[in-house]
Amino acid sequence: MATEEESAVKEPLDLIRLSLDERIYVKLRSDRELRGKLHAYDQHLNMILGDVEEIVTTVEIDDETYEEIVRTTKRTVPFLFVRGDGVILVSPPLRTA
Amino acid sequence: MSGTEKAGSGTTKTPADFLKSIRGRPVVVKLNSGVDYRGILACLDGYMNIAMEQTEEYVNGQLKNKYGDAFIRGNNVLYISTSKRTLAEGA
Repeated sequence: MATEEESAVKEPLDLIRLSLDERIYVKLRSDRELRGKLHAYDQHLNMILGDVEEIVTTVEIDDETYEEIVRTTKRTVPFLFVRGDGVILVSPPLRTA
Repeated sequence: MSGTEKAGSGTTKTPADFLKSIRGRPVVVKLNSGVDYRGILACLDGYMNIAMEQTEEYVNGQLKNKYGDAFIRGNNVLYISTSKRTLAEGA
């Protein structure tokens, strides 16, 4: 399986092509993460995702203790166009999982 | 062709030659944000987009995530470095 995938991935965008119609993880700038089904993409990594869960991580400072509080906010979006220049990382699902 | 190139890795002429020579090897990719990705370099392209396998994400030296495969968009990349530590040691 690994060898098959290796031979199929000759350039990095092949990894994205192989992820079409699969659920993928996308890491975006500004501490945003997406999980959704990849419907389409282009060479800029603009993507159309379906059934998307968005997770935003923020850090607040407690006024009294000055402790850092890490908070995550989740929302779901049925259909989403992602602009490629905000994309940091794309990962297909773990095969073993 | 590529075999002889890999065998004769003693002298590399250009940055592109270096990038060809590290394909299939363990690397560290540092992003502009300071985050490190360690794994096997599957391939890269002219934009410095990167495909990696057995990828581990380190933030401030702490392991945060693991990805079986990962695509990193080239504009985020600060540098790519070969890693002397073998993955076997890490695992």
